[in-house]
Amino acid sequence: MSCISPQQTFGEINLEELKVSSGNMLHAIEPSYKGIPPGQLRRMGKAVRLGVGAALPLMDEAAELDGIIIGTANGGMEDCIKFLNQIIEYDEGTLTPTNFVQSTSNAIAAQIAFMNSNKGYNITHVHRGLSFENALLDALMHSMEHPEKKYLLGGLDEISNYNFNIDFLIGCFKKEFTANDNLYGHDSDGTIAGEGAAMFIISGDSSNALAAVRSIKTLHSWDPDDIRKGLNDFLQEADINIDKIDLLISGENGDKRYTKYSNIVEENISYTIPVIRYKHAVGEFPSATAIAVWLAVHFLNSGRVPGHMQKNGKVEKLPDSILIYNCYQGLQHSFILIQRAG
Amino acid sequence: MKSTGQSKLSMSKVFVTGMGTISSLGRTVEENRTSLREGISGIGRLENFNSKYAGVLPFAEVKLGTESLKEYLSISDRGVTRTSLLALHACLEALDDSGLSREEVQSHRTAFIGANTVGGMCLTDELYSDANRTKDASPFIASYDAGSVSIFVQEQLIIRGISNTINTACSSSANVIMFGCRLIKNGLADRVIVGGVDSLAKFTINGFNSLHILSPEPCTPFDNDRKGLNLGEAAAFLILEKEELVRNKNVYAEVSGYANANDAFHPSSLSEEGEGPYKSMIEAIMIAGLLPRQIDYINVHGTATENNDRVESRAMIKLFVDVPEFSSTKSNTGHTLGAAGALESVFSILSLYHGELYPHLRFNAPISETGLVPVKEYKKTTLSHVMSNSFGFGGNCSSLVFSKV
Repeated sequence: MSCISPQQTFGEINLEELKVSSGNMLHAIEPSYKGIPPGQLRRMGKAVRLGVGAALPLMDEAAELDGIIIGTANGGMEDCIKFLNQIIEYDEGTLTPTNFVQSTSNAIAAQIAFMNSNKGYNITHVHRGLSFENALLDALMHSMEHPEKKYLLGGLDEISNYNFNIDFLIGCFKKEFTANDNLYGHDSDGTIAGEGAAMFIISGDSSNALAAVRSIKTLHSWDPDDIRKGLNDFLQEADINIDKIDLLISGENGDKRYTKYSNIVEENISYTIPVIRYKHAVGEFPSATAIAVWLAVHFLNSGRVPGHMQKNGKVEKLPDSILIYNCYQGLQHSFILIQRAG
Repeated sequence: MKSTGQSKLSMSKVFVTGMGTISSLGRTVEENRTSLREGISGIGRLENFNSKYAGVLPFAEVKLGTESLKEYLSISDRGVTRTSLLALHACLEALDDSGLSREEVQSHRTAFIGANTVGGMCLTDELYSDANRTKDASPFIASYDAGSVSIFVQEQLIIRGISNTINTACSSSANVIMFGCRLIKNGLADRVIVGGVDSLAKFTINGFNSLHILSPEPCTPFDNDRKGLNLGEAAAFLILEKEELVRNKNVYAEVSGYANANDAFHPSSLSEEGEGPYKSMIEAIMIAGLLPRQIDYINVHGTATENNDRVESRAMIKLFVDVPEFSSTKSNTGHTLGAAGALESVFSILSLYHGELYPHLRFNAPISETGLVPVKEYKKTTLSHVMSNSFGFGGNCSSLVFSKV
C-alpha cells in the first residue's frame, strides 16, 4: 500500500510528529514523483498527480495487475472548472481541450492504465462520500470472483480552490480560523479541508498479505437510530462479536452537527476500546476513508499509534481487529472491518 | 491486502424486468420504440438553452423544458437539476413497468446504481458563480457532482440498499449494468435499479467542440463520409432482478455477459488495433458462455467519429468471421454520453424481445477499408443473443450481452 497525504505518509513514514496547518486547508505533501516523465507530470492535474504518484510504488511491486479500481468524488474538479471558466471568459470561443479531457473523474484510473499498459478492468466510482467505499466493495467482489487475481484499489480527492469554494458555500468548513492541532476543541459547525490518495493491492490470495478486509457496509440516512441499527447489522453480517474489536478509527471531524453519529458508534462499541481520530491530520474530503484504511493497516503492522490520534484509552496492546466508521456530511455513513491477515 | 468479503458467489441469473427511457425519441420506452421503428431521428435544433452553437450544430434534445419536467414529477425543490429530473423520470417508468411494490423498492436488498458524466454542470453560469465565489450560494450549490444525481433519485425512491455512482465517461452506464449484475451474483442485492443519464450542457458542447469531433450535420455512423458526432440528452433505467425472485413476471431479457477492459492507449482516442474494444467484446461473449457466431446483433458504440468507427469496425472484423447484423442508434439519439450504455441496452433488449431490427439512419457508403454495412431497413427477425458496445474517453471499453429468456 502507499499513501500521499498532508502528513509524512509517503516514503519514510513519520506519523508521530503532526504537521500543523496554517489555515483551514491541509494540503498534501507531494513527493518529487520520480518515475513520471517531467513532460507528462506538467500536464497532469493535481488529482491525477496524487493518484498516479501514490500508485507508482505499487506498480513496481505488482507487475501484472488485473485491474484498476478508483474512488474519487472530485477527481478532475480543478480541470473541470478551468474549462468552465474558459467557456465563460471566452464566450464559448476557441478553447483548448486539455482541461476538458482531464476533467472527467475517470482520468486518474485511465492515466494509471496508460502508464502501465494495463488493459484489465478499469473503473471509477464517484458516489460523493461513499466513492472509496464503493471502490472497495467492487474490489472485494472481484476477489471473490477471481481469488487468484490482483487489483489496484485507490481512493483520492484533491482540494482545488473551486471545490473548496463550493463546499464552503454548502457549509462544510469552519468560518473561523482553525489550526488542525485544536480541531476538536472548536465547538462549531464545519470542519477543515484536506486531500490525499491511498492505494492498495487487493487479492483473494492471502500469501504475504498485510491485512484482511473483513467486511464493509454503507448507509444513507440522517437518522442516528439507523446508524445504531446499521452497526449491529454490520457486526452480525461480518460475524464478529463486539468484544473482539480492539480499536475504533472514527471519522469525527470537529463538525458539531455530526458528532452525534460518531458518539453513537463509540457508545455502542464499548467505552474501553481506544478511539483513534485522524481528520485533524489529513482534513476532511469525500474519500478520506481510504486514508483510514491505510492507517488501520499501518497500525496492525507497525503496532504504533501516534499520541495525537488517540482520543481516549491508551493503545496498550497490538490491535487485531479495527473498526472504521465514517460519516460524510451527516448523510453517507460507512463501516469497514480490518483484521490481522491469516 | 487480503480480502475476505462477506459475499457469496451464486449462479443466479440476472433478468431485466422493467425499463424506462426518456430521450429525443420520446418520453417512454414505447414512444422510443415507435420512433426507432419508423426511422425517426431526434437530432435537430437546440432550444432549451442559449449557446453560441445552438443554431450552428445539431443536437438531440428532450423536447420538454426543465420546468415542465418538475411539474410533471411534482418536484418543487429549487436546487434540482435537469439531469436529476430526467433520471427520476426514466426511473419511475422502469419501476412501474417492473411492478415492484413500494416495500420491494425500499427493501435493504434493493440497490441503486446510477451513472452520469455531467451532473449539475448543465448549469454553467450558476457553477461558474459558485466555484469562483462571485456571489452568494446558488440554490444548486449541492447539486453539481455526479453523485448528486443518484443521491436525489435514491432519496425520492427511499432506497435503503447499496447505492453508487460510476463515471467511466461514455461507457459509464454500461458499467453500471455490469456492477448491478455482480451485486446480485455476489449475493449483495436481490434487485438493482441501474441506469444512466446526461443532459445537454455548454460544458460538453464546448468540450467536444474543442476536440473538433462535433458534426455540423446530423451524424452518419459507420459511413465513409462521417463528420463526427452529435450530442444528445437522455435517461434510461433498467430493473435487474435475481432469477429466483422473478416468478411469473414479464422478463425482457437475461443479462448474460458483461466485460470491462481498458484500451490503455490515449486519453481521447482508441488504438488503431482496437485492443480495448476487442477485449471487452470477446470477454463479454465468454462470460455469457457463447461463441462469437451466436451473437445475432450488435448495437455498436458507433459515435460517427473518424477514429471510433474505424477502430470498432476493425475489432468486429477481427472477432467475428462473419460480422453480425449491427446498427448505431446514435443516428437517432445522438451521443447521450453517461446515458448511452443504458439507453442502447434498452434498445438492444427491445430488438431482442420483439424480434425486430431498426433502421440505421443516413447511411450512404461503407468505410472503404472495412466495408461493413449496418441494418438499413426495419425488419422482423428471430434474435437469441444481442450485444451492446460502449467505449469512452480514458480507454474505458465495456460490452454487454443480453439473451432471450
